[in-house]
Amino acid sequence: MTLFHFGNCVSLAYFPYFITYKCSGLSEYNAFWRCVQAGATYLFVQLCKMLFLATFFPTWEGAVGVYDFVGEFMKATVDLADLLGLHLVMSRNAGKGEYKIMVAAMGWATAELIMSRCIPFWVGARGIEFDWKYIQMSFDSNISLVHYIAMAAVVWMFTRYDLPKSFRLPVTILLGLCVYKGFLMELFVHVFLLGSWTALLVKAVLTGAISLCSLFLFVTLVHSN
Amino acid sequence: MFEEASEVLENMLKCSFPLSLVLFLVLVCPLRAEAAHEFSVYRMQQYDLQGQTYGSRNAILNTEARTVEAEVLSRRCVMVRLADFSYEKYQRALRQSAGAVVIILPQNMSTVPQDMVQQFMELEPELLATETIVPVYFALEDEELLSIYTQTQISSSSQGASSAAEVLLHTATANGFQMVTSGAQSKAVSDWAITSLEGRLTGSGGEDLPTIVLVAHYDSFGVAPWLSYGADSNGSGVAVLLELARLFSRLYSYKRTHAGYNLLFFLSGGGKFNYQGTKRWLEDNLDHTDSSLLQDNVAFVLCLDTLGNSDNLHLHVSKPPKEGSPQHALLKELETVSVQQHPDLKFSMVHKKINLADDTLAWEHERFGIRRLPAFTLSHLESHRSPARHSIMDMRPHVDLTKLSRNTKVIAEALARVIYNLTDKGVGGDVQIFTEQMQVQEDQLESLVDWLTAQPRAAQLLDKDSSIVNTLEYYLNRYLKDVKRHLVRADKRDPEFVFYDQLKQTMNAYRVKPAIFDLLLAVCIASYLGVLYLAVQNFGLLYGFLRRVTAPRVKQH
Repeated sequence: MTLFHFGNCVSLAYFPYFITYKCSGLSEYNAFWRCVQAGATYLFVQLCKMLFLATFFPTWEGAVGVYDFVGEFMKATVDLADLLGLHLVMSRNAGKGEYKIMVAAMGWATAELIMSRCIPFWVGARGIEFDWKYIQMSFDSNISLVHYIAMAAVVWMFTRYDLPKSFRLPVTILLGLCVYKGFLMELFVHVFLLGSWTALLVKAVLTGAISLCSLFLFVTLVHSN
Repeated sequence: MFEEASEVLENMLKCSFPLSLVLFLVLVCPLRAEAAHEFSVYRMQQYDLQGQTYGSRNAILNTEARTVEAEVLSRRCVMVRLADFSYEKYQRALRQSAGAVVIILPQNMSTVPQDMVQQFMELEPELLATETIVPVYFALEDEELLSIYTQTQISSSSQGASSAAEVLLHTATANGFQMVTSGAQSKAVSDWAITSLEGRLTGSGGEDLPTIVLVAHYDSFGVAPWLSYGADSNGSGVAVLLELARLFSRLYSYKRTHAGYNLLFFLSGGGKFNYQGTKRWLEDNLDHTDSSLLQDNVAFVLCLDTLGNSDNLHLHVSKPPKEGSPQHALLKELETVSVQQHPDLKFSMVHKKINLADDTLAWEHERFGIRRLPAFTLSHLESHRSPARHSIMDMRPHVDLTKLSRNTKVIAEALARVIYNLTDKGVGGDVQIFTEQMQVQEDQLESLVDWLTAQPRAAQLLDKDSSIVNTLEYYLNRYLKDVKRHLVRADKRDPEFVFYDQLKQTMNAYRVKPAIFDLLLAVCIASYLGVLYLAVQNFGLLYGFLRRVTAPRVKQH
């Protein structure tokens, strides 16, 4: 029944994307190819990030088990390129704010799903050995979808010229949180020695908080004009 | 999106149907995954001796694990710990046609209590006597294996107990283990060569000197070939023989002590399989060659078997020696030396007639006795049926070095008294020859026994290029002349012995969940997706709520 398990994991990971695509009304705007373009931009940005990391960051030669805080922090800073990529995608799309955000986020998140999850599922979930980590990976991809939508929204807000002064600071903070979320999660896991399910829960809560804040700011911005 | 995607798929399918077929096949093909735990397992003996088959016939297994407490054992891999092992449980597993039996032995076998060791030693021949198609494996315990065992035990013993809902919940969430071996089915090894080694020290004084033959078989036997270290039986015999070779070669190197006897040393292989090495060597020397030391004047043949412990020493004979024969002389000298020099040693003669109706011969001297050569076996065991001769529990701690060196000294003294005819010359029984520079070196014996017990020496594992045979040959070459190898291969049409391979395997234990679990998971995922769909559909509610929350603030501006 291991193929069944593979099917379970894939459906758990992919169906939310499908539901979001269908129900957000993107299909009415023929946004399929635009999402694919956003996905291509994702690939390009990841490639650049990898090259940059490989060239400029030395391999960690310290003791095993000791977490290299500074090194990982520097590596997370490179994730700022994600923000640039999202901005690039959104600036090339004409349309309302919500349309741009959703297209960019859907394309980006789907590309990440395909690139980073397909092969582990194929290789691992189909084997005889059972491990909970594949289900956890599927949940993680659901959380990533919400995270990328929030990130796209924050980037969009950051680049608006009519952003009120009082919003600058919270938007910048949210932006920083989005970029360093991965680093924060690893920090929590190392310091508090969280189990895998607990870490997933913490990640979901963190992403939920970020997305609620960004939604709040977005609504305020859009409907204050 | 669907329309566009389906168009693309249609085009793909139209022009490349084979591609989709290949894709389907790739999708369905099985996969090698990382195992929860990988460990070495050692298979039970499998061999044919003189047409009779012994041991476990099968090697491959791919079954779920259970312990003996489970009710249904058929087609499952039954895991038992040594502490819980008993013959009835084994029989029960075989009766229910279990998929395999894996016996878990403690990592450090010397920590096993004595009564358990004794019980297991007595079980071993019974295990081998019942020929079975169930593969039987032995594994050494480590932490992960122990945890796998405990988990399997919990799930096996709770199978009969509780209510239907509990059983359902339990079968859905239980953590099962699938045991898979990686090797192929066992088959007979063709053309296996059993090697024996001989070497000699020629006596002084011309032709037609009497010959004394010293024999010890160097292989070991146990219920699992890879775990048979054979410390006492017959590592001790080999160590004694090599030490005697060293001592007498030293004596023979001085003209004054060069005696008038030829000494022939023989290390035979296949000893535990009815002395195949000795049998063929005798045939070759007596039937097929024109002149050999064995054909002329043989004084006697002394076989050394299990001398590493206890304060008893038995000389097993098939015919009581006649007065005046060299055999009788050795018997007398052994009595003299043991009484006068080592009073704590109890020496006796045991008389047992050769019974040709038995499946296998009792002691090695019987092979020589059949060919009418005067022979006896020296051993601290009283009976050839003693379980210590065929056990995997026979490891290094079974050999007591002080007793081994004492026995070596007794044999050396007795032999010297016979060779130099000391009793007739009036030398008293309490005069010791092997002292000071000529003394039996205990550390030499210790290093020999340590080396012999460092690896398993089952006959199926020692082919003619093995390091043990080469090292023994090298050692003999240092002290003896004319060191020769003698090979025994089974006859093609009517083989006396057949060995089988696949004796050591790697077993993988995969963590598996039952099929119901996948269905349960699918139901949970479907419900989660349903909830998600509803949430996304009603996202507008959240949006509206937030709008209403922020609107008053705007109005206040």
